[in-house]
Amino acid sequence: MVERQSPLEPVLQVGSHGNFEHGVDIILSETQPGSILQLAAWPGEEKKLISVIRTVTGLALPDGAGGGSTDGARSVFGFAPGKFTVVDEAEGLVSAFAGAVTPAIGTVTDLSHGRTAIRIAGPKAEWVLAKFFAIDFALPAFPVGAGRSTVHHDVFAQIQRTGADQFDVYVFRSFARSFWKALCHASEEVGYEVQ
Amino acid sequence: MSPRRSDTGGRIDRLRTIRFTFDGASYTGHAGDTLASALLANGVSLFGRSFKYHRPRGVLTAGVEEPNALVTVLRGEVREPNIAATMIEIYDGLTAVSQNRFPSLSWDVGAVNQLGGKVLSAGFYYKTFMGPVFGPLKGTRFWMFCEHFIRRAAGLGRAGTAPDTARYERMNAFCDVLVVGSGPAGLIAAKAATDQGARVILAELEPHFGGSANWSGEVIDDMPAADWAARTAGQLEGHDNVRLLPRTTVWGYYDGNTLAALERVTDHKENPGKGEPRHRYWAIRAKTVVLATGSFERPLVFPGNDRPGVMLAHAAERYANEYGVLPGDRIALFTNNDSAYRAALALKKAGAAIVAIVDVRPELSNEMRKLAGEAEAEILAGHAVVATEGGKALSGLKVQRFDMASGALSGDARSIHADCLLMSGGWSPTIHLASQAGARAEWNEALQAFLPPKPTQKWIGAGAFNGHFKTLEAILDGRNAGLSAVGATGTPMAYPSIESLPGDPRPAPVFEIKAKGKSFVDFQHDVTAEDVRLAHREGFISVEHLKRYTTLGMATDQGKNSNIPGLAIMAEALGKPIPEVGTTRFRPPYSAVSIGSLAAERFDDIKPERLTPMHDWHVANGATMYAAGLWYRPMIYGLSGETIEQAYVREAKATRESAGIVDVSTLGKIAVQGPDAAEFLDRVYTNMFSTLAVGKARYGLMLREDGLAFDDGTTWRLGEQDFLMTTTTANAGKVMQHLEYFLDVIWPELKVHVTSVTDEWAGAAIGGPKARAILAACLTGTAVDNATLPFMGIVRGKIAGVPVMICRLSFSGEMAFEVYCGAGYGTHVWEALVEAGKPFGLVTYGLEALGTMRIEKGHVTGAEIDGRTTARDLHLDWMLSKKKPFIGSAMMDREGLIAPDRLELVGLIALDNRPLNGGAHVVEVLDEANPHDSIGHITACCYSPALGKHIALALIKGGKARHGSRAFVSDPLRNRFGPIEIVSNHFYDSDGSRMHG
Repeated sequence: MVERQSPLEPVLQVGSHGNFEHGVDIILSETQPGSILQLAAWPGEEKKLISVIRTVTGLALPDGAGGGSTDGARSVFGFAPGKFTVVDEAEGLVSAFAGAVTPAIGTVTDLSHGRTAIRIAGPKAEWVLAKFFAIDFALPAFPVGAGRSTVHHDVFAQIQRTGADQFDVYVFRSFARSFWKALCHASEEVGYEVQ
Repeated sequence: MSPRRSDTGGRIDRLRTIRFTFDGASYTGHAGDTLASALLANGVSLFGRSFKYHRPRGVLTAGVEEPNALVTVLRGEVREPNIAATMIEIYDGLTAVSQNRFPSLSWDVGAVNQLGGKVLSAGFYYKTFMGPVFGPLKGTRFWMFCEHFIRRAAGLGRAGTAPDTARYERMNAFCDVLVVGSGPAGLIAAKAATDQGARVILAELEPHFGGSANWSGEVIDDMPAADWAARTAGQLEGHDNVRLLPRTTVWGYYDGNTLAALERVTDHKENPGKGEPRHRYWAIRAKTVVLATGSFERPLVFPGNDRPGVMLAHAAERYANEYGVLPGDRIALFTNNDSAYRAALALKKAGAAIVAIVDVRPELSNEMRKLAGEAEAEILAGHAVVATEGGKALSGLKVQRFDMASGALSGDARSIHADCLLMSGGWSPTIHLASQAGARAEWNEALQAFLPPKPTQKWIGAGAFNGHFKTLEAILDGRNAGLSAVGATGTPMAYPSIESLPGDPRPAPVFEIKAKGKSFVDFQHDVTAEDVRLAHREGFISVEHLKRYTTLGMATDQGKNSNIPGLAIMAEALGKPIPEVGTTRFRPPYSAVSIGSLAAERFDDIKPERLTPMHDWHVANGATMYAAGLWYRPMIYGLSGETIEQAYVREAKATRESAGIVDVSTLGKIAVQGPDAAEFLDRVYTNMFSTLAVGKARYGLMLREDGLAFDDGTTWRLGEQDFLMTTTTANAGKVMQHLEYFLDVIWPELKVHVTSVTDEWAGAAIGGPKARAILAACLTGTAVDNATLPFMGIVRGKIAGVPVMICRLSFSGEMAFEVYCGAGYGTHVWEALVEAGKPFGLVTYGLEALGTMRIEKGHVTGAEIDGRTTARDLHLDWMLSKKKPFIGSAMMDREGLIAPDRLELVGLIALDNRPLNGGAHVVEVLDEANPHDSIGHITACCYSPALGKHIALALIKGGKARHGSRAFVSDPLRNRFGPIEIVSNHFYDSDGSRMHG
């Protein structure tokens, strides 16, 4: 099988960068999931869709806007009313959902190529992300598993907290290189490592 | 030892010597010094020249309100003017220069302006620029001539021209409680809220937390107030739920409890850390704000009150207690309140001689008399300072008997020898942020000050901000504010023990001493008491007009020193009490803000780059990239020595003769899914989509609601309920918004989801007579013959092992196919197509050739769908369905939109065989000297390799009726005039035989 090409290829330089002499406070990586799907329910069908998501992925979504869950290999979070992003390390998740999400429940849209997943982790992850987004990243306000839709200048971004000090940011593929460079730039002052 | 540095005292680090320069002279100071304190310690008293009169000025204050000692800081080639010396922390290598002087600070030719005092009074510009007549230069023209000289003579510092290489960043922050100011009130408020578990931000504009505790000389809980402040700040530092922001000025209070702050991160550092921004702009969203911003001491207005050596009393106290610096050896004080007595005692203890305390009040309390006695100062009660003496430094002052009730002076003037005069005109709470946040401030007669307005947003005041000037009051205020901010109720607490000097905070209502000479109200703008009265005489009776006419309290000063004295003088002139005159509304920013911090960092200069999956291939293979909105697209793939025109002509010609391939990944792509998707598209497009078969595509046109053309593109039916809509590159976002608006607001009952999938797909359009053969050579899993893949048909197959979706459609006019694959495979498929095309002479082509071929075909793009044209104007009326309504159908037949004289799409051919220009006008009668009567304009132009002519598309009145007629292109801006022929917009293959094959 042909390997997918990352838009970050020429700019993803593994190693320590910025002000890292005293250690790094940020770790940046591209997670390259095999599947990134958007699931959307018709009004009133949200709970059925959540049930389908649980059946297919094993992930139980909490109630409420922006709720989400992750088990490391698979992640899901609500990013808009009745709309969810589902991510899997493996390819082929779209076919698993294609039959399960009936036309009466909603739609499935494959965005596996269209979004780039960037992981920012480390004790200064909240600090660096606060430079980009007007979002409260504190753990009580943004718990592990939860997701947010937001924008940095012209770049639409979905963010899921996948650990106490870890966030996965999904951006449009075409913007990914610019966003990555900006993220590296913003991480310089605290020292960062690219993995 | 510096001449004015005391042997002991102060909170500076005397073991660390810092070297810096001012106006080229080298000085030393200590870590913890400001530029002002270090220069004062070195005996420097002259800091700058005033705005208008170029009067010598010293340092008036010790903080952010400094109006006089404004300097320019140089860092390499970068110069930053108008920085208060009182706010600059010195570092090794600091280079500062004075400003608004020539040739030097001590000998300034601009000082001649002092002779023109009457001419340069309030309203100088308004009056003068009406302008006299000087020979041929009349009125404003004359003054435009003078502008250069006036600009040089007036003003403050000069901005630099070198690019600022420093970094500036924006930070977003959220908290339960933002505490602004870290004096005793702010510190305790922050502690109270923090102890309750709230998320707290404490912002302090100075480098150290503590505010007045750092220099008051008081004792709190049996320790020096400064130590108490440091201990309390240290306690806060140990909490996870508090963020301490020193060197951070909260400068704006906006709706929704959003506040703007500027953190000066590296201004005090010789060498900033790697990646460290110079300034951070903090956008803070706080549930509640505690305003503990303290108060400003007011100057008194009297002749010569701006002479170097005249200073606010608390500032001198601060220099002595915080920096170990004496501003003079023989110090006199002039006051209308008790607070100056504490300053006198502090300076006496620091080693100065207090020669006199001049107090406008005839009767003084025993406590004040006792303090004066301890300071060994002569008391001159019921007196006022009527003049100061000296040149660029104070040498003495004159006092006279003063009747506080009438303001009258009497008796002979007495001279007092002094090298420093401290003044205190009472205290004004720093209510700027509260004023920005809402209601009008209220006058307090006892304190002779405006107190904060009633909150209109969620803020709570504390301490001197509330007019509670005593430290115990401030601490109690702070605790209550901190608890209230988090909705907690206070439990009884032991009062802190405070040791402080006695003093009544109520000043005498005296603001000005009327005597001969210039008495300054606003030092930064050279506004005198007489200017205020002049404004009144000239009819400016509103305080808002007064401000604008005189410039009182404008710019970075924002009335910190001048507001109350100015109002008081205006009130007296009007014969009204101060509260009736009112005060101006303070505006953000509270103090100067770097433009860099507001812009913060936008990566890649201004905007993010949007790259197609094949971007790197294009660059590696010689493409000249072109910014199309945020996208970067190949313009040409130029060969060595080729011009742009030669390159695109070659590319277009080769495509028409064999085949060409172009990256079309930038086209907007929207997944339209759901049971009502077909119905939705019928409403959105002017033509029918519900009849489109699965596996087919159709060209569609959208109108705006007002009936004008909006966008066009093909939409592919991939399944019964699954469409892939393509839009123009430029309009992708707008179309998406358009669709979402109609689904969310107008037709929420439709079960349709729209999703941007532009980035999901890489797209390559391959066209030309050999295109089909090339595809056949590399495609597996499907045939591409006419039967399998007819025009507007869709097939799926694989290229080089990658699944692809192919639609046969054409923008170039040739037989062409759009090949889509997952974006991650884009380069792989592209390379396979290019490789397969080599035996067939396939070329890669860019936007220029694409544009050329579409012009030859007469296809429209955004240049023609320009927001002013209708479907009929563009000859797309065949797409307007009569069987169904659609967006825009109700409005498209309005009289103005079907008028016969509308501009219509036509083609033009240059008859002089010279290039045409986009935007050039078309006229029937050529008049190069006086171009007139345009009948339309050119929208797009090129050299057509197919026709061998320079051609263009144009929007022309009459349109089709003019086909075959002649006219002229008239382009005076580019001096291009010449004959043209008006023809059909379909220059090439008008029957479409090449495309349909």
